[in-house]
Amino acid sequence: MENLSTLAVKSISKSFKGLKAVNDVSFHLKTGEILGLIGPNGSGKTTTINMVTGMLPKDSGHIEIDGQDISDVPAYKVPVYGLVRTYQKIRLFKNLSNLENVMIGAVGVGIKRREAAVLAASLLTELGLGDRINEPAQGLTFRDQRLVELARALAAKPKFVMLDEPAAGLNELETDELFALLKELPAKKNIGMLIVEHDMRLIMSLCHRLHVLNYGRTIAEGLPDDVRKDPEVITAYLGSAAS
Amino acid sequence: MKTKKNTISATPNVTGSFSSFDFAGKWSTPLFLIVIYVVIGFFIWWLNIPFIEDIFTSSTINLIMVLGFQMYMGNSGILNWSYVGYAGIGAFFSAIFSMDPMLKSMQIPTMYPFLVKLHLPFILALFAGALIATLVAALIAWPLMRLSDSVGAITQFALLIVINVVLSQWSQVTNGPRTFTLGGSRKTTYELVMAVAVLVIIAVFMFKESSLGLKLRATRDDRYAARSSGINFIAVRYVGYVASAFIAGFAGGLYSHYILSITAASFYLSQLFVVLSMLVIGGSMSVSGAFFGTLVVTLARQGLSQVELGLTRSGFEAYGMTEIVVAILMIIFLIWRPNGLTGGRELTLNSFKRLIGKKKLKPTGNRKKMEEII
Ligand SMILES: Nc1ncnc2c1ncn2[C@@H]1O[C@H](COP(=O)(O)OP(=O)(O)O)[C@@H](O)[C@H]1O
Ligand SMILES: [Mg+2]
Repeated sequence: MENLSTLAVKSISKSFKGLKAVNDVSFHLKTGEILGLIGPNGSGKTTTINMVTGMLPKDSGHIEIDGQDISDVPAYKVPVYGLVRTYQKIRLFKNLSNLENVMIGAVGVGIKRREAAVLAASLLTELGLGDRINEPAQGLTFRDQRLVELARALAAKPKFVMLDEPAAGLNELETDELFALLKELPAKKNIGMLIVEHDMRLIMSLCHRLHVLNYGRTIAEGLPDDVRKDPEVITAYLGSAAS
Repeated sequence: MKTKKNTISATPNVTGSFSSFDFAGKWSTPLFLIVIYVVIGFFIWWLNIPFIEDIFTSSTINLIMVLGFQMYMGNSGILNWSYVGYAGIGAFFSAIFSMDPMLKSMQIPTMYPFLVKLHLPFILALFAGALIATLVAALIAWPLMRLSDSVGAITQFALLIVINVVLSQWSQVTNGPRTFTLGGSRKTTYELVMAVAVLVIIAVFMFKESSLGLKLRATRDDRYAARSSGINFIAVRYVGYVASAFIAGFAGGLYSHYILSITAASFYLSQLFVVLSMLVIGGSMSVSGAFFGTLVVTLARQGLSQVELGLTRSGFEAYGMTEIVVAILMIIFLIWRPNGLTGGRELTLNSFKRLIGKKKLKPTGNRKKMEEII
């Protein structure tokens, strides 16, 4: 087994003008593992990722990687500690080529430009975009944009990635393909993966463990089969009429 | 067109044909620009008409300024109004450094004695002047770098005003609002500006392609994604801004040693408008845009000023027509082609081939298809 790392999120909270968007949430993630962060719309999933990656200041709580406290590390240094993310609403550098987009992930953590280019090219090829390396990111389909964003995250050679609704905007076939790809990633690259997704069917088949939020609070966590039977989870999902 | 059907696969399929040095798609750009520039330069030299040579020299100084302007503004997406102020700083200080002390005390009796004593060879004086501009930028820029969009633009504009007021009021350095006359012979020569322009084309292109330039371009397109990819946008902007102040300062020094008498007003709104119109019309996101923008606007200005002259001679007052036409041209571009003539792209061997190949294709009347081909 390769080096095992652990990301520990300890009691983080965030309020927006009195609204407790995230309330005392804790979880941990190990390399090689897939953790599903699920919950109805507005339950605080994105806010959780924003706080863990340093993009949003926390009201309280701690983040640790292998025991090292990174709670106060500025967002632009978080990738250096091995933690990267993608966005629910795709954020690509639209005037850069696909190659350059992915290179950013690598140069952002201090990899030299030339090495970054080679790494980016191989990642894009690996994801089936080898023939669009020099095209601008602007004209891509949603699916390909998602893949470029994923490649950009992987270019940082991370220990942990947080994917915020990576299938949003994709059709069923594209989603299935993407999830087949994601399923293999953690073991192949020794990455701990946190994934936010609405589709329970996909989540159940993909994730090793689940963490369920509702109104910013943890209402269940554990193995997919156990979580599925949890009455509170069922109510939360039926209540929000999600699939 | 290729039919696109590539399935997502997790199996690596590295062809090994990838090389990070892409001449046809990338590094041919500086070569193209330099060849075009040098050919024009030698042609005009061969023509040997002093009036046209003068236009070429002063336009080259503009080209250098526009290239430095592109280097920060184009890559960062921040409107950098203060830019010409640094050209002014470089212009005055390089002149102070290069002038003979005797001459200096005669021309500017109010000057600080320690400045009067300073004396450097011309080329060193150019560098020293540019370094002063760089230093000023380095000292004041940091707190401004976090400001983006309209706030950033307004702050930069205010900074230009500050620099201008200091330059036009500091009698002990710049001779105040009076003209600063360098005296002596013209030191900025045809060959010198050509050599500098070639070097600056290379430098600005290399900056764009460097890690830092790449990071800066990423912050331009999406500040959040850049941040979460490990980029401190304030730091990369800072380096880009300060570096572009160096080029501005150097160009300013070339200008003062060409024109031989300057005032702070030479580095204010009208000069800002000149470089801005060139960059906007050419396309601010590419070095090729800076180059062709300068070329096109220079030709347009020369043509227009001839017309202006002709009209005025025939009794029809047309002063200012050139500025108005260029301004309208700029507005038209901002509306219909905000990324300029070049569309933000570089002229490369590949784009050149496509340009030639495209002519052979009959337009099918299908706009979308044409866009795909381009
Ligand atoms: N920047 C913000 N300002 C104010 N309220 C916010 C902000 N971001 C999120 N919220 C609120 O916090 C709650 C959680 O949002 P979010 O984390 O985006 O949920 P999810 O990703 O689970 O759909 C929602 O009620 C949302 O309206
Ligand atoms: Mg969300």
